[in-house]
Amino acid sequence: MLNPPEASPAGRIAVTAVVIAVTLILQVSVANRLPLPGGVQPDLVLLAVVALALVAGSMTGMVAGFLAGLAADIVPPADHTLGRYALVYCLIGFLCGAASAEMDRQSVVPFFAVAAGATAGTVLYAATGMILGDPRAEWATVSSMVPLQVLYDVLASPFVVWAVLRVTRRYERGERSRGDRLAVPAARYRAMSGRGGNL
Amino acid sequence: MKDTRRTRMVLGGLLVVALMMITVDYRGGANSPLRGLRDFGATVFGPVERVSASIVRPVGNTLGAITDAPGERRRADQLERQNQRLREQLRSAHLDKDRSAQLERLLGTAGMGGYKVHAAQVISAGQGFEDTVTIDVGSSSGIKPDMTVMSADGLVGRVTRVGPATSTVLLATDQTSSIGSRLEDSKEIGITQGRGRRGIGRGGDTPLRFQLLDAAAPIHVGQRIVTLGSQGQRPYVPGLPIGVVERIEKPTGGLTRTAYIRPFVRFTSLDVVAVVVAPPKTDPRDAVLPPKPSPTATPSPSTSPKASGSPKARPRGSKSPTTNPTPGE
Repeated sequence: MLNPPEASPAGRIAVTAVVIAVTLILQVSVANRLPLPGGVQPDLVLLAVVALALVAGSMTGMVAGFLAGLAADIVPPADHTLGRYALVYCLIGFLCGAASAEMDRQSVVPFFAVAAGATAGTVLYAATGMILGDPRAEWATVSSMVPLQVLYDVLASPFVVWAVLRVTRRYERGERSRGDRLAVPAARYRAMSGRGGNL
Repeated sequence: MKDTRRTRMVLGGLLVVALMMITVDYRGGANSPLRGLRDFGATVFGPVERVSASIVRPVGNTLGAITDAPGERRRADQLERQNQRLREQLRSAHLDKDRSAQLERLLGTAGMGGYKVHAAQVISAGQGFEDTVTIDVGSSSGIKPDMTVMSADGLVGRVTRVGPATSTVLLATDQTSSIGSRLEDSKEIGITQGRGRRGIGRGGDTPLRFQLLDAAAPIHVGQRIVTLGSQGQRPYVPGLPIGVVERIEKPTGGLTRTAYIRPFVRFTSLDVVAVVVAPPKTDPRDAVLPPKPSPTATPSPSTSPKASGSPKARPRGSKSPTTNPTPGE
C-alpha cells in the first residue's frame, strides 16, 4: 500500500512461498504445542493451501500444496512416510482451485469451501496412513481424532483465510491493472478479500 | 479455463512424484534413500524453529500460566514446604559436621541415579498422528540417535533423528514406541507401549499401556513402573520412572494382562528435558522413583532431623551411603 510492489509472477511466487513457510513454522512451533482439549490441533498449513488455491486457482494451488506438503514431510519433528502430506495437499490444492473457478461469490461460500477442503484433507491424510498400515492411524485413533480436528480446522479457517488474503492482496491488485487473463481471478479474489477484511 | 490440459499434466506429474516418494520411503524404512531429504529439512528448518521458539516462548508461557494456574498454586505451596524442609536440613548440616559430609555425598551421588545428561528445550511438536517433538540440541552438542530423553519427572522418549542443531524425539506415548519396563520392587518385566496422547477418551489420563510378560505375576493399581534398560543402554537407560498403574484390564481370554499407566511426565506440556548422554554405571533400580505418596515409610530414626527431605531415600541413605537418593523435584 505504501509502496505498491511490481506486479510480477516472481513476486507472487515469493509471497506464496513466504506464506507457506511462515504457516509451517507457526504450525510446528505454536499450534502443535497448544494444550487444546482432546489434544488435537488445527492444521494451519492445510488451511493456507486451501486459501491460496481459492485465491489463485488450481495450478498455483496444487504446486503450492505439493511444496507445502513436502516441507511438512521434512520439517524436523515429522516422523511419517515421506510424501504423504505432499500427496494430500497437492490433491486438495488442485480440487479447491478447480472449485474456485465455478464458485459463486455469495458471502459465505468461500468459508464453506475452506471448511470442506480442510475436512477432505484431514480425512485423506488419515486414509493414507491407514492404507500404509501406520500403527498410529488405527481406526480407533482416527475415528476419535478426525472429527475434532475438522472442528478445530473450521474454527481456525476464518483467521487463516483472512491472513492469506491480506498478504496476497497487493500482488493481485497490481496484476489486475495489467488487464491480462488474470483479471477474472483477481476480481473474484477482490470480492473475497473485501469480505475477508470486514471480518 | 483453469482446468486445462497443462494443469492436469502437472497434477499428474506431482501426484506421481508424491506416490513415488511414499513408496521409496515406505520400502526403505529406516535406511530410506530419502533420508538425505529429511537431513536437509533439519538443516534448513531447525535453526528457524529455534528462533521462532525463542520468540513464541513468552506467549506460550503466558497461556500455560493461565491454564495451569490451579496446579501451579499447589506446586508453589509444595515448593515452599520443601524449601522449608531443605532449610532445616541445611541448618542441621551446618551444626553437625558428620551429617554435612554425608549430605554432600548424597548430593554427589544424587545426579538422577548417575545419569549424565545434556539439558535441552522443546521447540516444536509433530503434526497429525505422531507424538514427536524437536529439541534444541543436535549433533554439535554430541547428541546421537537412540539416546534416552528424560525430564525431572521421568522418561520422555528417545532420540530418533539428529540434525546439526536440533534433534527429533519420539515420545513414549507414540503408538510406535515400545519400552522394556519393570514393576517396582519386583523382577516382573513387561512392555510399555504408547497409545497416543491425542484424541478424546483413548489417550486422556492413561496414554501408556503396560503388558506383563508373565500372565500370573502379581500386579495391582498404584504400583509404579521403571525402565528396564535396553541392551547396551540404548535406546533406553535403566531405572527411569515411567508412571503409575491406573487400572488393570481383566483378562478376557488373552495370555497377557494389560495395565493402563498414568505417566509421571506431562506429555502435553513438555518444556525443559534432558538427553542422557552417558548411562549410569550401575542400574539404579528403584532409586530414582519419587517418594511414595502414602506416608508408609516415614523416616523416624533418632538421628534424623524433624522434617526429612524424602521419606524414601533418607533411611536408606543413612544406612548405606552408596544408594542413590531421590533427587529434588
